[in-house]
Amino acid sequence: MSLSVPRPAAPRARGRQSLVPYLYLLPFMLLFLVFVVYPVGYGFFVSLHRWDLLAETRPFVGLEYYRNLFDASTPQSQFFWNAMKNTAFFTVVSVPLLVATALGLALLLYRPIAGRAFFRAVFFLPGVLTVSVMGILWRWMFDNQIGLVNAVRTDLLGLQPVPYLSSEGLAWIPVIVGTLWWTIGFNMTLYLAALGNISQSLYEAAEIDGATAWPKFRFITWPLLGPVTLFVFVTTVLASFQLFGQTLVITSGGPNRTTQSAIQYITEEAFSNNQFSSASAMAFMFGLAMLIFTFLQFRIMARDARGES
Amino acid sequence: MAAPSRPADLNAPVTATAYRPRRTPRDIPRFLLLCLLAIIFLAPMYWMITTSIKPETDVISTPTQWFPARPTLENYREVLTSPDGNILRWMWNSFFVAAAYTVLHVVLCALTAYPLARMRFPGRDAIFWFILGSMMIPGVITLIPTYLMMIRFDWINSFNALIWPGVAGAFGVFLLRQFFMALPKELEEAARLDGANSLQVLWHVILPLSVPALVTLAVFAFMSSWNNFIWPTFVVTDVDKLTLPVGVNTFSQRYVTDYGKLMASTAIASVPVLIAYLLAQRYLISGLSTTGLKE
Repeated sequence: MSLSVPRPAAPRARGRQSLVPYLYLLPFMLLFLVFVVYPVGYGFFVSLHRWDLLAETRPFVGLEYYRNLFDASTPQSQFFWNAMKNTAFFTVVSVPLLVATALGLALLLYRPIAGRAFFRAVFFLPGVLTVSVMGILWRWMFDNQIGLVNAVRTDLLGLQPVPYLSSEGLAWIPVIVGTLWWTIGFNMTLYLAALGNISQSLYEAAEIDGATAWPKFRFITWPLLGPVTLFVFVTTVLASFQLFGQTLVITSGGPNRTTQSAIQYITEEAFSNNQFSSASAMAFMFGLAMLIFTFLQFRIMARDARGES
Repeated sequence: MAAPSRPADLNAPVTATAYRPRRTPRDIPRFLLLCLLAIIFLAPMYWMITTSIKPETDVISTPTQWFPARPTLENYREVLTSPDGNILRWMWNSFFVAAAYTVLHVVLCALTAYPLARMRFPGRDAIFWFILGSMMIPGVITLIPTYLMMIRFDWINSFNALIWPGVAGAFGVFLLRQFFMALPKELEEAARLDGANSLQVLWHVILPLSVPALVTLAVFAFMSSWNNFIWPTFVVTDVDKLTLPVGVNTFSQRYVTDYGKLMASTAIASVPVLIAYLLAQRYLISGLSTTGLKE
């Protein structure tokens, strides 16, 4: 602007300047390379060798541990795919529940009502508890003999107690109900924020045209919630894949490994059986499955969101 | 772009109708439904607290004791003085680890996001996308190699193992970069004309304007460290070094059916997060809302 502003030693300043951004980046990049980038390569390296903490040599075995996962006669293959199936089952059942219930709660709450702040706090509150606290709580709620659920069944409804925790299949109920209770407030809050951003004039215009509740939801609310639904859906699926603490604490993966999750089995193979190479191979298979699934989901959901609006 | 466009206090009226709350009869079923849901949501908390103040015989009595007939603090006393582990110690460990992690993470992310957002230099975009790309790596892939590295560093049963591996997180860089980019250029240029160097610009101009983003990131970082469960479960086994979630879980394995003690320990473990939640409610919800809706 002003020609009178002195510009001292411009070339030298520029020469020095060019290093500055890299100096800012240095500490982060060092840690990033050591703890994020390097472990990925190292993990793959481990999965190609027979790793034993006590042994002197770690011979190269190539893809043997990956092949084992596709050889139905190995216990690794049976337990790993069983755990993958369990994780998929949990995801398929819990995600629609988590998204729909969160939207339902948000719809109940976003218009003014007495005690709205209180209700919002109540539904959000469980989410701040740590997973082990939540797990112990729900194990107790569904305790086979004297948990609250069975107490209500026997003492109030006159029914027989149900051994939820030790019955195959039924053991999923405490896990899923507990997860719902624990994480619903998170998704609800996202929906509440999105609902608050929808212009009220759209509804007023629709009312003038005589629209009732359902068409207003179907043609205004739902399409405008598209991006949030995509976000909620994808983050919830990713969180469900990570299933670990709930089943570890509530059911210990039982009965009979029917609720053992993929991460739980991978950590068992690594840290209890000391099979680090085998567990690394599983981690890569699992990671790959997650990546493919996330990618497909983004594509499908993004297309749907575009088509809807 | 990522700047919260509206104060995220969800209690604030946001729509025209909110300014004139009409109580219509149509609201009554909705209110009753919400009350019912609130009771269901609070039931586990109620069951936790009442169980924790019952003597052991009353916990397992049939018919069920809906309300503690002989309240006692015995479970709390036993849990707090248990030889199997010190719950207050675990709480302090968790706090120390989470606080150290949060400070390091926020400082490092701010230092990294600053040049990526506001300087021009060769390789800038490549570096940014390289960092961002790491968000695609599922955590399970680095779990085992990082554990083997901890053995080599001799960091097993050390807080170093709980703090350092997660410090260079991509999400924080992304969040702060988006925020820094949205700040007006003029203030920075004015400071430059006054002779400020880039560090002074960061400290006196950028950071003071970025308090909402920094607080959001800090709250997220603290919560994720505080609630971390998988990693500390395996990397820390020394009973004095356990964090709260892992420590409480060791109680759960030890007192499998002693629910009075288990509920006392979960109640103690819940107190700090409930207090923190009440204090940080606004930031928590604002952070949540903005990450979901922008970008």
